[in-house]
Amino acid sequence: MTPRIIGANLTVRLKSFSRERSAMFFTIAFPVILVLVFGAIFTKPEHMNFDLPVQDLDGSTASAQLLRSLADGGVFKPTPVPADAEAVQYAKDHKVNLVLIIPRGFAAAQARRVMQRDNDASVVLTYIYDPSSTSVLSKLQFLKAMAADANQKLSGTRPFITLAEQSILSKKYRFIEFFVPGIIAMAVMTSSLSGALNTNAELRQKGILRKLATTPITRADWLLSNILYQLVLAVISTVSILAVSYAVFDVKLEINGWLPVYIVLEVFTFVGIGMLLTPIAREAESAAAAANAFLFPMMFLSGTFFPVEMMPGFLQKVARVLPLYYVNEGLRSCMVFLDNMAAAKCAAITGGVAAAVFVAGSLVTRWDRET
Amino acid sequence: MTNRDDYVIEVDKLTKLYEDLRAVNGVSFNVRKGEVFAFLGPNGAGKTTTVEIIETIRTPTSGEVRVLGMDVTKRKRDILPRIGVLPQGFSSFDRITVGESIRYYARLFGCRNTDVDGLMDLTNLRDKRDAQFKTLSGGLKQRLGIAIALVNDPELVFLDEPTTGLDPHARRAVWDVLLGLKSKGKVVFLTTHYMEEAELLADSVAIICKGQLVAIGSPAELIERNTDSMCLTLKTADAGTLKTIQKMGFEPVPDQRGDMTVRVKHTNDVLEILSAIKGGGIGLPGIDVRKPKLEEVFLSLTGEELHGGTAAEGGGT
Repeated sequence: MTPRIIGANLTVRLKSFSRERSAMFFTIAFPVILVLVFGAIFTKPEHMNFDLPVQDLDGSTASAQLLRSLADGGVFKPTPVPADAEAVQYAKDHKVNLVLIIPRGFAAAQARRVMQRDNDASVVLTYIYDPSSTSVLSKLQFLKAMAADANQKLSGTRPFITLAEQSILSKKYRFIEFFVPGIIAMAVMTSSLSGALNTNAELRQKGILRKLATTPITRADWLLSNILYQLVLAVISTVSILAVSYAVFDVKLEINGWLPVYIVLEVFTFVGIGMLLTPIAREAESAAAAANAFLFPMMFLSGTFFPVEMMPGFLQKVARVLPLYYVNEGLRSCMVFLDNMAAAKCAAITGGVAAAVFVAGSLVTRWDRET
Repeated sequence: MTNRDDYVIEVDKLTKLYEDLRAVNGVSFNVRKGEVFAFLGPNGAGKTTTVEIIETIRTPTSGEVRVLGMDVTKRKRDILPRIGVLPQGFSSFDRITVGESIRYYARLFGCRNTDVDGLMDLTNLRDKRDAQFKTLSGGLKQRLGIAIALVNDPELVFLDEPTTGLDPHARRAVWDVLLGLKSKGKVVFLTTHYMEEAELLADSVAIICKGQLVAIGSPAELIERNTDSMCLTLKTADAGTLKTIQKMGFEPVPDQRGDMTVRVKHTNDVLEILSAIKGGGIGLPGIDVRKPKLEEVFLSLTGEELHGGTAAEGGGT
C-alpha cells in the first residue's frame, strides 16, 4: 500500500468530481433539495394555507364573523364568490375543488340559538366539491373539525373528552428532525454504491483500468483510494444536508461521535455491495440499472421517508434484513432519540455487514485482463 | 551470433487458451535491444493477447515469456516500472487535463523528476496542456497516451495499435512521435494494422495468423524471402505492346486506366521487354518497376488483407 499512489488517485477522482456537474448535483444538491422539499411540506403544517372560495348569501355581520374565524384558523384563506354566481358552475369555471356556501338566514338562525336558546335553530352550510381531487379530502377534514369546534362552543358545555399529549422523548421533535438522518443515510448510500459500481464499470469500459493494470498501483491502493474518495463525498454530502437543515429549518439534532462512525460503516457497506455487483454489471449502462434496482427498494423499504411501522407486516420483515434500515435506525437513535444502546446495537450490525461485504467485494474486484 | 543478454523480450512456445479457443498457439520470438519491433496480424489473430501477456496483465496457459530477463508470471512488480504501455483504444479520465494526466501517471510510477514539458514537446501537446481529455481529438488522445507511456522513462515501450481509427493527418503526426522515440533509441514493441507504419518504423516484423507466428524478419528480408518477382507497370500501353510482350512468354495484365502490369522475376526481364518494345518501333511509354510491398507479403502469408481500418476493427484477442 503506497500513500503516494493513494494520494494521486484521490486527487484525480476529486478533481473529476469537482468538474462534473451531474456528480455534484446528485451528491450535494439532490439530497439538499429533498430536505428542502420535504421539510417545507411537513415541517410547519400550522402554516398550511388553502384558498377557500366562499359564497356568502347572508351578507350579515354574523357571516362576516364566520369568515374571519375561518381565516383565523390558519388553514383557510377565504375568497369571496359573487352572491349571484351558480356555485357548481363557479367551481368548474375557476377550477377549484371546494366552494363553501353560507345560506341566507345564517345570522337569524345563529341569533335564535344564541340569544333565544332555541336548540332547534340550526343552519346548513353546503360545500360544493370535486371528489376526484386528492387534496380536497384534507380540506374537508379541516372544515369538519372547525364545524365541530364551533358547535361545541355554541353548546356552552364543557367537552366530555379532551386529549392530553405526553411524548416518550425528552424533547419534542418535528418531522424534519426525523427526516434529516434518513436523508443523510440515503445520500451516503447512493453516492457510495453508485460511485463504486458506476465508476468501476465506466473505467473498465473505457479501458482506464487496463491502463492502470500496467502501472505499479496495487489492488489495495485502488480499494483504499476508492474508500477515501467515497468518504470525502459522504462528508461533503452530510455537511451540506446538515448545514441546510440547520439554516433553513433550525433543526435540533445531536451531533456526536456516532455520526462519523455511521458514515464510515455505511461507506464500507455500500462500496462493498457496489464491488460485489461490479462483476455482473460490467457496462456503464447496466451498472446504472443495477444500482437503481438496488437503491430504490432500499430507500423506500428502510424507513428513509416514512416509518417502517407504516408498512405491511411482511414488508417490515423485509426492511429488517436491509442494511440501510440499521443505518437509519442507528442515526436516529444517536441524533434524535439520544439512545446510545440502540445506536451501539445498530452500529454493531452495520459493522458486521460492512466487514462481510467489503471483504467479499475486495475478493471479486480484479482489473487485470483475466476477469 | 546474438547473445541472450541482447534480448529485451523472449517469448518461447507461448500458448494461451480461452476455454476451447486456442488464441495463441506455440508462439516464439525475441526482440533485441534498440529495435522497433512490429507485430502484425489480422483481426482475431492473437496479437493483443500476446502483447498483454508480455505486458504482464494476462497469464499464459503455457510457455515462457521473459521481459528484460525476468519471467512475466513471477516478476510483474519488477517489470512494470521498467516498461511503458499504450493500450489499444487508450482512454483517460474525461475531466482531467493533459498536464494533470501526465503528472498523475508519473506519481503512480513514483517519478518525481518526470519532464512533463519535455513529454508534451515530444508528443507536440504543449498547447493542449490545460485541455481536458474529453475535449481532445482521437489523434491528440493517442499522443497523450504515448506521452503517458513514457512518464517512467521506460526501457521498453508497448504501443498497441497507436494509429488505428485516426485520419491520415493524425496518423502521420503519431508516426512523427514514433520516429522521435526511435531516434532516442527506445525499444518499441508496435502492434499495428498498417503495413505502411511497419515498413516506415520497424526494424523487425513478426506476422501472426490464427494464433501462430507465420513469419519474422526485417521488412526487406520478409519481402525477399516471400516473393520472387517484381512488378513492371507500363503506362498507357497499346495493343501492339500487349502482343509484343505476350510473344515473349510473359502475361501482361491491362487495367481499366489503360496501364499494363507484367510480373517478372529478374531485372534482365525488364530490360528485354523494354528492348523489344523499342525494337518493334513502338513508342516507349512511361514505366514503373518495384518490388512487392509488405502488404502483398502479408496477403500471401495469411490469405487475409490487412487494411487501414477503424478503431472498431481492433480484434482484441
